[in-house]
Amino acid sequence: MTALAPIRLSSRLRANQGVLVVAALLVILLIFGAFISDRFRTTSNILNIFEQSTGLALVSLGQTLAILTGGIDLSVGSMISLLSTLTSGLIAGKVSMVLPVAIGILLLGLLIGICNGLLIIWLRVHPLIVTLGMSAVLQGIVLLYSLGPAGSVPPSFNFLAYGKVLGLPIGAVFILVLFLLVALFLRYARLGRYIYAVGDDEVGARLMGLPRARVMLTVYGFSGFCCGLAAIYLTSRFSVGQPYTGLNYTLASITPVVVGGTLLSGGKGGVFGTLLGVYLISLLNNVLNFMDVSTHYQLIAQGLIVIAAVSIYVEKKKRV
Amino acid sequence: MSNISRRFAMLLVGAAGLAAFAAPVLAQDAKFYNGAPRTYLYNPDTDVCFKDTSQYKKEGPYTIGFSNAGLGDSWRVVMLHSMEASAAKHKDQIKKLIITDAGHDDAKQVADIQDLISRGVDLLIVSANTQQALDPAVSQAMAAGIPVVMVDRRVASDNFVTFVTASDAMMGRLFAQWIVEKLGGKGNVIMLAGQAGSSPSENREKPAREVFAQYPGIKVLETVYSDWSPVKGKQVMQAMIAKYGKEINAVWSAHGLQTPGSIEAFIEAGYKDGEIPPHTTADVNGPLQMAIEHKVPMLEVGYPPAMGGISVDVALQVLAGAPVPCIYTINSQIAVSEGDNTPSIETPLRLTDLVVPKGAPDMLITGGMGPDYDPKTFKVDYPQ
Repeated sequence: MTALAPIRLSSRLRANQGVLVVAALLVILLIFGAFISDRFRTTSNILNIFEQSTGLALVSLGQTLAILTGGIDLSVGSMISLLSTLTSGLIAGKVSMVLPVAIGILLLGLLIGICNGLLIIWLRVHPLIVTLGMSAVLQGIVLLYSLGPAGSVPPSFNFLAYGKVLGLPIGAVFILVLFLLVALFLRYARLGRYIYAVGDDEVGARLMGLPRARVMLTVYGFSGFCCGLAAIYLTSRFSVGQPYTGLNYTLASITPVVVGGTLLSGGKGGVFGTLLGVYLISLLNNVLNFMDVSTHYQLIAQGLIVIAAVSIYVEKKKRV
Repeated sequence: MSNISRRFAMLLVGAAGLAAFAAPVLAQDAKFYNGAPRTYLYNPDTDVCFKDTSQYKKEGPYTIGFSNAGLGDSWRVVMLHSMEASAAKHKDQIKKLIITDAGHDDAKQVADIQDLISRGVDLLIVSANTQQALDPAVSQAMAAGIPVVMVDRRVASDNFVTFVTASDAMMGRLFAQWIVEKLGGKGNVIMLAGQAGSSPSENREKPAREVFAQYPGIKVLETVYSDWSPVKGKQVMQAMIAKYGKEINAVWSAHGLQTPGSIEAFIEAGYKDGEIPPHTTADVNGPLQMAIEHKVPMLEVGYPPAMGGISVDVALQVLAGAPVPCIYTINSQIAVSEGDNTPSIETPLRLTDLVVPKGAPDMLITGGMGPDYDPKTFKVDYPQ
């Protein structure tokens, strides 16, 4: 066991370094933005950046845990499309339906996620394939349910996405609290530490008798739950759910995870890196908008940052 | 100024704006329609909705933001170019035209609109990616006191100052009525729509269905979606031809972008010149070239991308505090293939008057950009 100690220490350092790199990039972008425009510095713009990052933050949080176990959840996009379409479809404009539907959607998300987990455990098929298949199934189901925007939500429902508490966007505050809770869970709960262990060395974890099944169900169930949260949030932001609402989120949710220093091979990283990754992407788009850089370059910039970030972490790993 | 004379003045201003844009096309031929908007003149309502914009009156020069849903097809490229050209023409009044492009992503467009508001624009022009999802963001802008002029694609609610458009409903009805009369009230129609859920497509489909429904002999076999693409249009029409074959008597196409795909599908299925069923089209050169070459009966009712430029004119009217119609419908030209006038669609304009015989097939002939316009090399010095 003594041999393990220094490795643990260095791996923690590596994770921190990843977070530091992203944090440094964030600061550079902020200073850069402030130079470009007076209006960039306004409180309302900075709050906008936080507000705009809410949807992506929710999906990426679940994705981080899946990737920490060495897996991935490719069903998030379709799951958001399905859950979001169901949200407005079932609420159908009635205030009285908001709460029961919201609870139902979160439970359904959890359930679909647990299905992913069960399939991964039972079939012993790689999560990539299981969730890819699930993604197609869910997309099919949502299109059977509705070909276009479904139902509606009461106007007051927009409060979730556009409302403020104490001058701060509700979604942004919720995100901070949620990420903090999950970070504490990963660090202090036994199950949280098992997530790292399974991702770090799956065979070793199995030999040590760690409850892999419980870890998988937790991780994919949580990812589904996060999709439920994202679906409710996006339905509030768009005032309706559509069968392709979540389309972009599958790949988009992976970007902040890897940019934030979580290794695709699992076992290393954490949710704070992901949160910083989400803010980085949101800030980058905002700064590029202020610079009048066209959307097409925004995509290129995002792509290059992903490749650059991941290459930095790979380098670090080789050096050890 | 009394309400009536104000409206009249408004109409004159509007007509002048339209005339200015139609001029380059008009120079070609006197058969082109150059009057006041038909949808306004023929409107039986005594009360037409006008918006008082005095609360938005401001001293120039202005910063105007344009949040575009995205590019990706030739119509939207010409629309954007016509907007840039108009901004260049009004350099004296416009300090800056800031253009954002959401890449057809609702989430990105909501963020773009918020960013444009942060940048302090005096007015927003918005072409909404989808009509419901962008509604909250547009409503928020209006609530914040920033006037919004919608162009081409509106939001679901009425929370905007005005919507610059051509009449989707008129297009849909004219297309359908012409098909009914071409078929003598009896036959099967495929509806080749645009993108499921997008307002230009839905707003042409519904009135068309209402026309078809009045004729018991007309049967709509199926509605298929082309996503405004000739490639997808061809794929779905190949499937329809495989399924129904000669039972298809006409193709109602929501625009000209997908029409070439459909005609190609018929040609490849072995239909000879003169055998291809009647098609409808709008704005694009290619379908006209094909219709003339393969003797396809065709009706063209444009949905002119010139509305991009007109939306800038309208934006300046709003910032000057002049009343604008709640829906600003610009004129469309109406043309048919030789010998295919019907009792309801009687027009002097032929496809041969509109077509640019040697021009690129994907070129738009209703952009009001003048005869020398080439989208590939277009560049204009607009305030940015």
